Amino acid sequence: MDAILSGLSTGFSVALDPFNLLLVMVGCFLGTLIGALPGLGPINGVAILLPIAYGLNFPPESALILLAGIYYGAEYGGRISSILLNVPGDASAVMTTLDGHPMALRGEAGKALSTSAVASFIGGTIAVVLMTLFGPLLASVAVGFSPANYVALMVFAFASLASLVGKSTVKTLLGALIGLMLATIGIDANTGVPRYTFGIPDLLAGIDFLIVVVGLFGMAELLHLVEQQVKGTLKSLPVDKSFVQAADIIKLRWTILRSSLIGFIIGVLPGTGASVASAVAYGTEKRLAGPEEAKSFGTGNIRGLAAPEAANNAAAGGAMVPMLTLGIPGSGTTAILLGALLMFNVQPGPLLFTQKPEIAWGLVASMYIGNVALLVINLPLVGLFARLLTIPHHYLTPLIAILAFIGIYTIVGNPHDLFLITALGVFGWFLRKLEFSLAPVILGFVLGSLFENNLRRALSISGGDWAILTEDWTSLVLYILAFAVVFAPIWLSRRARRAAAA
Amino acid sequence: MADRLFASFLLIVTLAYAYIAWTLIQAPFQYDPLGPESWPRILAGAAIPCILYILWRPDAEPFAVTKYTWFRIALMVVLLFAYAELYEPLGFIISTILFGSIVALTLGAPRLGALAFGLGVGVFGYLLCFTLMGLNLPEGETVEAALEFFRGDAE
Repeated sequence: MDAILSGLSTGFSVALDPFNLLLVMVGCFLGTLIGALPGLGPINGVAILLPIAYGLNFPPESALILLAGIYYGAEYGGRISSILLNVPGDASAVMTTLDGHPMALRGEAGKALSTSAVASFIGGTIAVVLMTLFGPLLASVAVGFSPANYVALMVFAFASLASLVGKSTVKTLLGALIGLMLATIGIDANTGVPRYTFGIPDLLAGIDFLIVVVGLFGMAELLHLVEQQVKGTLKSLPVDKSFVQAADIIKLRWTILRSSLIGFIIGVLPGTGASVASAVAYGTEKRLAGPEEAKSFGTGNIRGLAAPEAANNAAAGGAMVPMLTLGIPGSGTTAILLGALLMFNVQPGPLLFTQKPEIAWGLVASMYIGNVALLVINLPLVGLFARLLTIPHHYLTPLIAILAFIGIYTIVGNPHDLFLITALGVFGWFLRKLEFSLAPVILGFVLGSLFENNLRRALSISGGDWAILTEDWTSLVLYILAFAVVFAPIWLSRRARRAAAA
Repeated sequence: MADRLFASFLLIVTLAYAYIAWTLIQAPFQYDPLGPESWPRILAGAAIPCILYILWRPDAEPFAVTKYTWFRIALMVVLLFAYAELYEPLGFIISTILFGSIVALTLGAPRLGALAFGLGVGVFGYLLCFTLMGLNLPEGETVEAALEFFRGDAE
């Protein structure tokens, strides 16, 4: 407990530094803006702005605070376009449209927006508190992890990714493998042997993480926007004067609490982020509501609005826990944040909290502040964000390209990379068209060297005996969990089908 | 169909990847049981069954892209390549004005709006990034030459 308190005080002294405080605000504001734009989700927003944030030459903790603010704000802002336009910014906001948009149609847009803001705030805050309590605990367990345990942990991470993300398990797995294969390009750090460089000097250091991220997310998203281009502008519903009452929140307290816990736990699971969390929370709430009330879900039930919102913000916080303590991101967006940490030469993992407390705790403290800032920004300014929704796509699309180019050029300073991101964008667009999700690709890319190095280290320890991988209990438990997370859903759905047939 | 095409493409790439892992990658000497070639071999070994599965059982989803959409995507990619090509020679301001206006126009913005958008982003973007944030953006050889010329004149 003492360690947590002293850590928090270190964190707050970093986060309350006027410059960092400003960055939290700017990040939250920009994030909300990006989240609010229809079609641009948190992952694309962070991907496009990451190189620019990196190019500003801030100290690492400041740049990360800015990025975390953007990430957080974008999860927050997604609900605005969901409620007012019925267009979710990304997968995690889909559930919000189900009841949020009907409420707005009924003339309760203001109430829907303010309720979801409060639910998000509570969900986010619960997640940060839990993170403060369990993060260091998890880190202290993970300090004792051997390379073999890490290998098991990776297997678990990829197993839960494959089973919970995307439509097809095989495609998700293949996506992760593509990412892992991309990560092998470049000089092998252990032996100095070049792999897949084909004698091209630019490839010796490997493909730059930023290029992969901006290409696969920013540029692919741009092509997706061009493809989906809607004729005319979207019609936004007006924000009215209705507002959430304290009595509403008190009535919703159990819903929000439950959903926050569900969101946090799912967020912590490696690989699964806010989209799974909001869907599970919505489903749970609907089941608990009883057959009578369940009918009103999807027609503007306020519980159906609060649940996914609390859950997706809690998951956003939860996904940070494995990223900071184990070095294994809990979602696609945190994979990008992990890559950002690595770019600043900060190796996330169990030692981060003790070796770089200003970064780990600074980030945690900035999330407390960010949550409050988001609530304060969102309640009065929601009208302003709502007006931004109507930015026509024909201006938004070129703007994405321009921002991506600025970002890549300022960091890498090499015009060849501008071609490379465009080509990767085309590749990413194809993957998306074929229903591969892109998050596994980036997760594989980020985790590639960690996975490989731990495997090699483990086998070096055992002198080439593969049995070391299953030697101790920690690894075995992780393999069993990995097995369960893949086969439990299959078994459950079989059972449900059999029950339905009988 | 699209699934099978893409999977075949991936299969070829992965087979090439595996071939390189089995033949070309070698450490001159090593003490560790796993060399630089082992990990790519494992990855290829895991990827090939996945690809074969997709070839065997593709998702039935048709690749619903109309000719017109293909054209738009292709046009966008061409414009992006042109933007990348001209980024350094023309400099950020001019290339962005051109790119911004043309893309906005092709996506259906009104003419004046598109031009104003291009100009605005090009000029303000440069001022914002260069002066305020201190980011390094290409000034452009032509612009530089012109500036040089005027400066030379003044002296």
